[in-house]
Amino acid sequence: MNNMMNSEKERLYHDIGVIDFVVVEMTEYLDTHPTDKEAMEYLNHYVRMKNQAMREYAMKFGPLRISDADSCNQNEWKWATQDWPWNGGC
Amino acid sequence: MQDYSFNEYFDRFPLAMAYVPWQHLSSIFEDLDAAYKKGTIFPELEKPFTGRRCVK
Repeated sequence: MNNMMNSEKERLYHDIGVIDFVVVEMTEYLDTHPTDKEAMEYLNHYVRMKNQAMREYAMKFGPLRISDADSCNQNEWKWATQDWPWNGGC
Repeated sequence: MQDYSFNEYFDRFPLAMAYVPWQHLSSIFEDLDAAYKKGTIFPELEKPFTGRRCVK
């Protein structure tokens, strides 16, 4: 069970990294092409996907950024109690 | 790699204009995991460094 949880956590964290990479790439493209509507649609699509994945991660494992803290179990302030990156957390 | 001494030949190099063409968005890689590893989501920007092409 713990093993499965860990692999789901790792998978989701990896997916967030990949989606965030697309967001960064598209942002840089739009810096030089600010009126490209297709690129803006791509960006909006992946920003939404990133936010959704961030919320899902926060709900299951704790928030990666404070703006997702409201997606967490409200019985515990996971921001403070989850593993720190240098302790093996994300 | 050949060992060129650029200072020695510097006065023989013609002056040139540098340019960066505009990128036009065609599509993005379908396999985003692979794109992540390549370092770009844009197929037109995938330029793996071979360490050979600039020789000569």
